[in-house]
Amino acid sequence: MTRGPIEVFLTGATGFLGHYLLAELLTHPHVRCRVLLRPPVSDSSVRLERLLADLGLNLSELIADGRVVPVEGVLPDSLKRSDVSGVDLVLHAAGNTTFHANGSNGLETTNIEGTRGLLSLAAEAKIRRFVFVSTAYVCGEQAGHLPESFFDRLPPVRNDYERSKWEAERLVRDWGERSGVATICRPSILFGDSRTGRASAMKGLYLVAKATEILARAMDDNRDTDRHEIALRILGCRDATCNVVPIDWAARQMTDIALNPATESSVHHVTNPDPPTHQEVKGWLEEYFDIAGGRFSDETWPLTDANHYEELFYALGNVCLDYFRNGLTFESRCAADLPPGRRLIDGASFARCMKYAQATNWCRTPLVEHDLPPQASRLDPAWYFESFLPEAVPCSVVAKVEALTAVVQYTITGPVGGSWVSRFDRGLLTETHAMPTALKPEFEYRLSYEDLVEVVSCRKPLQDVFFHGSAEMFGDVERALKMVPIIGEFLKEFPVAGGGDCAAGSRAGATC
Amino acid sequence: MLEGTLTYPAGHPCCSVLIAGPHPFLGGDMGNNVVSALSKALALRGAVTLRFNYGGVGASEGGPADWPKVMSKFWKDGTFDEEQDWVNDVGSALAGLRRWCDLSPVVLGYSFGCWTAVKNLRESNAKAIVLISPNPKQHEFEPLCQSQAPLLVIHSDNDFTCAAPEMMSWFESLREPKTRIQLSAGEHFFRGHELDVTATVLGFLQHHRLLGAEQHDNGH
Ligand SMILES: NC(=O)c1ccc[n+]([C@@H]2O[C@H](COP(=O)([O-])OP(=O)(O)OC[C@H]3O[C@@H](n4cnc5c(N)ncnc54)[C@H](OP(=O)(O)O)[C@@H]3O)[C@@H](O)[C@H]2O)c1
Repeated sequence: MTRGPIEVFLTGATGFLGHYLLAELLTHPHVRCRVLLRPPVSDSSVRLERLLADLGLNLSELIADGRVVPVEGVLPDSLKRSDVSGVDLVLHAAGNTTFHANGSNGLETTNIEGTRGLLSLAAEAKIRRFVFVSTAYVCGEQAGHLPESFFDRLPPVRNDYERSKWEAERLVRDWGERSGVATICRPSILFGDSRTGRASAMKGLYLVAKATEILARAMDDNRDTDRHEIALRILGCRDATCNVVPIDWAARQMTDIALNPATESSVHHVTNPDPPTHQEVKGWLEEYFDIAGGRFSDETWPLTDANHYEELFYALGNVCLDYFRNGLTFESRCAADLPPGRRLIDGASFARCMKYAQATNWCRTPLVEHDLPPQASRLDPAWYFESFLPEAVPCSVVAKVEALTAVVQYTITGPVGGSWVSRFDRGLLTETHAMPTALKPEFEYRLSYEDLVEVVSCRKPLQDVFFHGSAEMFGDVERALKMVPIIGEFLKEFPVAGGGDCAAGSRAGATC
Repeated sequence: MLEGTLTYPAGHPCCSVLIAGPHPFLGGDMGNNVVSALSKALALRGAVTLRFNYGGVGASEGGPADWPKVMSKFWKDGTFDEEQDWVNDVGSALAGLRRWCDLSPVVLGYSFGCWTAVKNLRESNAKAIVLISPNPKQHEFEPLCQSQAPLLVIHSDNDFTCAAPEMMSWFESLREPKTRIQLSAGEHFFRGHELDVTATVLGFLQHHRLLGAEQHDNGH
């Protein structure tokens, strides 16, 4: 491994794989990373900050220390040569993982044109090494033992995704022949962290797991069928393997490959040398969700006589059906170091991943709320609720909603948060107190400090942070929901900038 | 003029679906989690889908003129006269969908959208009807008896708008053919349980041979 300082240009850092790669790269003290972030960079950095915080890293500190430098851009063509000049190595992990192109999902533009654009920039900037994250399944429906080498011809691919990865590999290989040393890493199906079960995205095998959970839930509601004798045909081969690898292990392998001072272009399978069979995965899923009865079948989807449970399961589970039969093994140098008998994924680590997935509502809500420093703002919630609202509400449209009588609690989570209760009487805000108070709220809004800042500055509607963010409603949810449009109108009239000032458009209102 | 999003497959569509969303005063727009999840999942399975914003929402024109007065009425009674305009919006959206795709539509409503959708049943010539979290305590659903199309009702066992026993007895009163699926998650909003809802809808439409077999989605 090289010891001199290395400057890496990393794409895809906000992705399932990319943030693990970044964290791994940063374990090497001599590595500095420029990370490509899609605009608006403020949003992407908040996402990256949260992802890294889950791994115990602080993005703001890393930026301040110069170890991470954000670069705003979108593939294929918004980058400039200066964005990459001086870089030793490009690690290209950005990609679109949708199986089928639909004209707008960026499979072509990101995977093929994005790679082409980045390669030509790398050539212009005279960067010597380019490491590309492809997929082990670029091989398509081949069987047998696959060597770590380029496929000169398009393999019998299953979908547009595999084709796009092969096209991109070809561009990378050609670049390697003309301009530098090209390295291709081909991970198989990425799964949760082997230590914690953590995953930040739900794809691949997680979709099959989620379909199993849906089936199990249907059984909870159904007293007529024995949950251990579900008539489910599993359209796959029981002894074929499911090549899944833990995300942390895969990221470490790819980082080691990337930082290795290679002098020749090469291909690396980042695959599981002892993957579970489908029969094993079925057993793990059945045990975890406490159901049974499925049997493997040679039939293919769609089943003309599908029963209710099969329809329910395959509505989601069919996404991965194409991969249920493959009888593949992969040559892999990076798996050679594994101690004999140690499996990358076993029943216990699989259950850990399921537990994490369920605890986070299938990667939807964070498991841990991080006390991140407020982003670009110093809004004081106490000032907002105790001073600003009483001043602004009487001048606002809220005062005209004559029927509005309610006692409302707002709770802001995080280090600068707190709880406040307001009484509205015929549209007028008559009192607001910090908790504890004798006022009995009928309902409560609870949201993070970051979301409060977004909401009061009108960057995000309140309903957005409820449906897609941290906000929750408690108590009389129907009334809480009814109040949302009233609050929405108020916020439009009186937006408050992050620093706690009334935004330009609302000054007149604030002084009325 | 209404703003809407039409989603369509690359090949020949197997069916068309109109999706009517929740109440505009209760956060209802076409970006709603259930509405957008359904629209995406259905399009991936070969359906043309149209979701739209009711008048006064997003870029759709219209909406109640005297907002504070209407809001006051809504706060007190949970309803107001101008809601009829949003029923008419569904009619316009159905006409728009028909211009894009001449297949008889599946009419799908979520929450308040169940009512606005059902009010348009007679003109829609629906092939199937899907109602997610309807609120029979608040709205009348009598036009349902004017259509013989298969009906699916999905609700959660913990919906604050209508408790499961009331939902069941209302469902009992409806005509056949009908299916009721109670999900043991999701309350009224199905946040984080959108896939449970889409899987149930896809399963039902698949059962009635209204969906293509095409598989598209995210993987590795
Ligand atoms: N997941 C797997 O099981 C798996 C298996 C084998 C190989 N791979 C490969 O690993 C790579 C990463 O996959 P993943 O699962 O981590 O995907 P992911 O979670 O979807 O992340 C994709 C990353 O690429 C970025 N990106 C997408 N389009 C872009 C564009 N046009 N310009 C700039 N950045 C763009 C995304 O940015 P935003 O966050 O802003 O969207 C995100 O950071 C892909 O190349 C994939 O083919 C994945």
